[in-house]
Amino acid sequence: MKREVQVTINGRNYHEEVEPRQLLSHFLRETIGLTGTHIGCVVGECGACTVIVNGKLVKSCLLIAVQMEGKEILTVEGMANNGELHAIQEAFVQKYGFQCGYCTPGMILAAHYLLSHTPEPTDDEIREGLSGNLCMCTGYMQIVEAVKEASRSLKNG
Amino acid sequence: MAKYVGQSTRSKEGPRHVSGASFFTDEVRLAGMLHAVILRSPHAHARILNVNTDAALRAPGVIAAFTPQELKEKTKPFRPGRYSAGLARPIQEYAGAINKVRYFGEPVAAVAARSRAEAEDALELIEAEYEPLSPVIETSDALRPDSPPIFEELGSNRAWTGTLTYGDIEGAFKQADRIVAEKLKIHRYSSTPLEPLACVASFDAASKKLTVWVNAQVPDNIYDALRDAFGLDDVRVIIPDIGGGFGQKIHLIKNYAVLTSFLAIKSHRPVKWIEDRTEHMMAAGHSCQQEFEVEAAVKKDGTVLGLKFKEYDDVGGSVSTLTIHFTNKLNNLTNTYKVKAISMEGNSLITNKCPVIPNRGIGKPAMCFVWERMMDKIAEELNMSLIEVRSVNLVQASEMPYETPNGNIYDSGDYPGLLKRLLEKIDYDGLKKEQSEKRKEGRHLGIGVVIGVEPGGRNAARDMAVFPEMKQVPGAGGVNGATVKLEKNGTVALFLGSPNCGQSHETTSAQVTADILGISPDRISVTTPFDSDLAPWGVSAANSGNNFHLYDIGAIHGAAHKLREKILTLAGNVLATTPENLTIEDGVVFATDSTAKKITLTDLGRLAYSNQSVMPTGLEGGLHTTFYYTYPHAQPYLTPDVNRKVRAQFSFSAAAHGAVVEIDTTTGEVKVLRYVIVSDNGTIINPDVVDGQAYGSAAHGISVALGEGFVYSSDGQLLTVTLTDYGKSSALETPKFELEHYPVPSPFSALGQKAAGEGAAIPSPAAIASAVEDALKPMGVKVRELPLSPESVWRLIQDAKRNST
Repeated sequence: MKREVQVTINGRNYHEEVEPRQLLSHFLRETIGLTGTHIGCVVGECGACTVIVNGKLVKSCLLIAVQMEGKEILTVEGMANNGELHAIQEAFVQKYGFQCGYCTPGMILAAHYLLSHTPEPTDDEIREGLSGNLCMCTGYMQIVEAVKEASRSLKNG
Repeated sequence: MAKYVGQSTRSKEGPRHVSGASFFTDEVRLAGMLHAVILRSPHAHARILNVNTDAALRAPGVIAAFTPQELKEKTKPFRPGRYSAGLARPIQEYAGAINKVRYFGEPVAAVAARSRAEAEDALELIEAEYEPLSPVIETSDALRPDSPPIFEELGSNRAWTGTLTYGDIEGAFKQADRIVAEKLKIHRYSSTPLEPLACVASFDAASKKLTVWVNAQVPDNIYDALRDAFGLDDVRVIIPDIGGGFGQKIHLIKNYAVLTSFLAIKSHRPVKWIEDRTEHMMAAGHSCQQEFEVEAAVKKDGTVLGLKFKEYDDVGGSVSTLTIHFTNKLNNLTNTYKVKAISMEGNSLITNKCPVIPNRGIGKPAMCFVWERMMDKIAEELNMSLIEVRSVNLVQASEMPYETPNGNIYDSGDYPGLLKRLLEKIDYDGLKKEQSEKRKEGRHLGIGVVIGVEPGGRNAARDMAVFPEMKQVPGAGGVNGATVKLEKNGTVALFLGSPNCGQSHETTSAQVTADILGISPDRISVTTPFDSDLAPWGVSAANSGNNFHLYDIGAIHGAAHKLREKILTLAGNVLATTPENLTIEDGVVFATDSTAKKITLTDLGRLAYSNQSVMPTGLEGGLHTTFYYTYPHAQPYLTPDVNRKVRAQFSFSAAAHGAVVEIDTTTGEVKVLRYVIVSDNGTIINPDVVDGQAYGSAAHGISVALGEGFVYSSDGQLLTVTLTDYGKSSALETPKFELEHYPVPSPFSALGQKAAGEGAAIPSPAAIASAVEDALKPMGVKVRELPLSPESVWRLIQDAKRNST
């Protein structure tokens, strides 16, 4: 019944046997043990499970693990470098771009995707870029500020 | 003195949240842990004829299951809560349905299996037979005498009616120049925390100890529910990071803690239950639909002499929170106004909908909506400006502390100042000019200006005012604790007495402690999760009621001062000087008269736990203090007096809100162009944290006003089971906020702090309503109801057009 899948996650190779019906979000959390990918709706509406697969921003609850054969996945755990926060993560801390933290990993990855394509986004572009990720706590103000701060910080190296 | 309080110091919670290292309940994994799923009612109203789990129990991986019959036999019903104290006869409610289902999605049975997938497969094998009954969906149906009683024992779906009157209401109406009357309504919504409800239960049968990890905002509710349901004494409640609460995780979560624990007890295995989004929408609790018939007794100059209202609450299919939205109106009953007489009648109507629960303000957004809609209506009838009519009625800064007719004591505030500053900041006069120019171009700009209070710090005795016949006294005032410890390496550990769901409690409590102990917040660690076996907690240990700023900060403040005294006593002995001569800065204790006399906190920490020879005789060893805070200014009206005056809450923040909207009359879409807040939250401990609370609660109130909400079909099926159908605003629809602080410190709290949490969710629905009505004034549109979704605004416009032709 189980199917094999080989996948690279945050630069590390994994060779796993999974049930064909297992969602990517559950694969990351349960099988691989990377619990920074959160689950808020399982129908692709909230963005808490957002990850980057082969450079594309995706909602991991809308994909199944067996589709990941040969793919490269970046999760929030792959953002920091040896415990040193990525500039985007640091900007979210500095600007209080989070409250409860449940949407935060998805927001960080959405911001990462946005800034890698649009290094100096306007406020509207930021809101557009984050519109697939719901936050129930913050009203988005400080998240937008965090993304602007990250943009400045990345530009200045 | 304050080096850290008042600063946006580096967040303590931030690093773990941004790196995916937070620890939510779903992160709990125990050896042998099973996964539970719940069978839910497909009917709004039905008798349960038979539930059989035999086939499910034979399915692969399944270890345990239960039926309604087993739940009834093996668990005890909940004790009637304080919100159902007014019922004619007590109703026994269990954690799941027993003989009847009373709302779509009500838990009926459950299975626990070795994997979630196996549990979901097995769920389909449970046989459940129902006899469908006529559903009662609309409140107008619930009020009909022939409405089939949802709780037969009550004989009627009007489960409770009660009145409270403060001041000379009849005199006020006699003296009035005019009676202004209106019908108003606010709909069902929720706060939809991104993390659904979650619980892991583990039962040690040998020692009869039940441990649960649960994302509950109020440990007390879980603790009592589990002890009562299973007759256990030893219950441990651990509350990890919570992915958003907003009231949503206060009441019904106890039912799920009981159901999960029941499976753990039955299976002798730890059991995890994680709610899915659809379950959350249908059964985790809704804010109450509230309908009002309001009358205001008004003088010609706009002075409101008295306000009467009848309220009809659609409380859904449970009695557990029957009056919660009504009783909470005592907290902001008079809003920011000087009215002397007020009379309120509550009616709790049982319907076949999801039970109601607290929700970012619990009833207070509706109370503010009533006041602010009435102010607009009074202004219109008296041909006054919206600002003038409010100004006439505002409590003045010179009247603080101000006693309201129902016994609240507003500690501090400058309401006219808030309003004045808001008008300047939003450029009200300029906007009015712009509005008339736009109207010439056929465009519909509207400006809404409202004001509201944000009460903080719960008084457990409040509900005794509503139910003087209450048999079980729920307590009075509040108590919560905190522990502060100087470790042997000179760092400081804090243990808070309540859980946190995103309000940066770790950061702000470290700031308060840092100032008192003369140490950097970097040297302070705050221990999580909340653990009922270890935490210094009392009845106010609640991420609810805006309790933290009063009780927890009070407790931290008290514990840190106690520790400071102890540190100085020990240091005085070591340095051969008196404690009064000593101070602490940057982690060093030194004599103010001789800088040579000094010792670091690191050295003192080491000595305190290892060297008895330097300790003054009689001083307790170690440097560890716990302090339980009670509000020292809780009298008068801590408990209700003969006139039912009671302090519903203890601190009163306030804010003026201004909304500028433009409406597309062809689609009914409301676009929020500007949203301005001038807010008084007393002494601010961390500006970024307070800003975030205001932005978030305003965003929610605006989203609620503009359309998010629950919709049921006429047969009681919930039609809005996803976040998209429900209509939650994203970053695109949420306006940018302009926020200014206008702090007036409380003279009573430890640091002058007041509440900062749900505040902006209270006036924001009213601000949007006011702005929409203002925009459509030339068409004669009246806004009496929320939500103002494009469809409802379009209908308002069509109705107005029909009426004018």
